[in-house]
Amino acid sequence: MNYKLLLNFALLTGEIMLENGAETFRVEDTISRILKTSKCQTAEAFVTPTGIFASLDHPDMDLMTVVRRIKKRQINLNRIALANDISREFCVNELSLEAAMYQIQQVKNEPGYSSLIHICSTGLAAGFFALVFGGTISDMGVALIAGLVFGISQHLLNLIGASKFLIDIIGGMLCALIPFLFIYKIGLGNHFDLVVISSIMPMVPGVAITNAIRDTLNGELLSGVARATDAFIIAASIATGIGIMLSTLF
Amino acid sequence: MIIQTIAAFFATIFFSILFNVNKTQLFLCGFVGASGWFTYLLSLSFGINTVVSSFLASFIVSIFSTILAINRKNPVTIYQIPGIIPIVPGAGMYKALFYLINDELYVASEYLVETIQIAATIALAMLTVYSIRQLLDKIKIYKYKNAKINTK
Repeated sequence: MNYKLLLNFALLTGEIMLENGAETFRVEDTISRILKTSKCQTAEAFVTPTGIFASLDHPDMDLMTVVRRIKKRQINLNRIALANDISREFCVNELSLEAAMYQIQQVKNEPGYSSLIHICSTGLAAGFFALVFGGTISDMGVALIAGLVFGISQHLLNLIGASKFLIDIIGGMLCALIPFLFIYKIGLGNHFDLVVISSIMPMVPGVAITNAIRDTLNGELLSGVARATDAFIIAASIATGIGIMLSTLF
Repeated sequence: MIIQTIAAFFATIFFSILFNVNKTQLFLCGFVGASGWFTYLLSLSFGINTVVSSFLASFIVSIFSTILAINRKNPVTIYQIPGIIPIVPGAGMYKALFYLINDELYVASEYLVETIQIAATIALAMLTVYSIRQLLDKIKIYKYKNAKINTK
């Protein structure tokens, strides 16, 4: 068995899952299962939200340890599902190692939805949330516009490589400015607070919070605390943006 | 209440698109989110407070997510993350930090405590469903082992 290829396959699978928003315990479990199919004496993995360490050892070969750093983070639940499928099929021997390696490399470049769909979904999600929280149709319209503008600004700022921190602050500012303009200057829309809260919903770190909880419950305390801090910082950035805008407007 | 539930259905679907969920699973995510929000509203209409209502809503979301995950052989998070978004206390968090920045600490702490309570009950609901699932798995394995011994 090609131990080096197995190690690379396990790490690539773990890297894809971690970069795209999987829980730390799931990534560690996946890498461990893949490495254990080699029936080596030592097959260990240690995963944090920012890096993976994996080791493979057996009396008849040299010890192999690999470190891989996770630098970018996004959310693509589809890639997580595909990586999970491939690792499951490999571990029950439905896939050969080479085939699994080929498939996982395809998953790495699996495209998400297009930017246009992304921006429109941001607007529509914000709009429908206005209805969810009990707003009127005009509230929905204002939230939809605010969401669209935020989506466009997020896309443009990502293109120039701005930090997530800055994107969230500017997003918070836009999500306070646009409802203000529409409700108080143009006269469209009724409930200011409701529209602001609906338009920031696409930014709310739902994944970070959920994964923080699930990781802590599964014993990955380091990861749980790290993700909870991440969620808190995002929430603070949004509130800062809103606070700056509201204190200059009112 | 019906309008809000239908709106939650669509809002969850658009959120799932933001999270890049596969096309085939979008409607299921919408269903999970809508049922969570419906449970929340129903529980509030019976006079139950927001924290316990959040627990019941996340409980329903987690149960449906787990059932769908087993059925479709997908990770639970595919359904659970979009399903929980309507329940996550975004409004409370925003209000808490907003009043904190404006130096009104008393009001801020009220919202902060409520936000933490709701987040904790969401965690508790997930833990409960996860434990029930582990328990059922162990019972299944125990029964399977016993059946094997008996047929030998």
